[in-house]
Amino acid sequence: MADDSDQVPAVSVKEPLDLVRLSLDERILVKMRNGRRLRGRLHAFDQHLNMILGDVEETVTIVEIDEETYEEIYKEKKRHVPMLFVRGDGVILVSPPGRVGI
Amino acid sequence: MSAVNRKDSLNQFIQQIYGRPVVVKLNSGVDYRGVLACLDGYMNIALEQTEEYENGQLQNKYGDAFIRGNNVLYISTVKRRT
Repeated sequence: MADDSDQVPAVSVKEPLDLVRLSLDERILVKMRNGRRLRGRLHAFDQHLNMILGDVEETVTIVEIDEETYEEIYKEKKRHVPMLFVRGDGVILVSPPGRVGI
Repeated sequence: MSAVNRKDSLNQFIQQIYGRPVVVKLNSGVDYRGVLACLDGYMNIALEQTEEYENGQLQNKYGDAFIRGNNVLYISTVKRRT
């Protein structure tokens, strides 16, 4: 993941999962269903994207709508888990964090 | 007979769009725009320089983003004009 090449190298086609393997033992960001985001160290994964994450911070984002004013209220809940097994079917996206700006 | 041709043309399409800017739309309606790094038979996608759009622009992800194929509604090429 340290390569900063602008052009696509002319190598044989790899699978997206091969590139996930490059993130092993590194901190990653996982976006999941139900507005959940995980940041942790990727210890293991499989083709279903089941994952073992260590030192994980989970952020759950809920949007509430005020019945009177109809404004959207974003609420975040965080928790820290030392070691976590993630079932792959809830995973939407996996990315190395760092340059993530909101 | 024609099934073999369809398989070839699908592979050809995939070979053609490697390295191109694409739009990936998910079942949830979220939009991802980036350069297609690779793609497999499950529609798992690896994108580079990805931007995420939900209503407005949500996040910028640089580096690689891997999208699980079951969430993908479609992949489309886009001509980037900024």
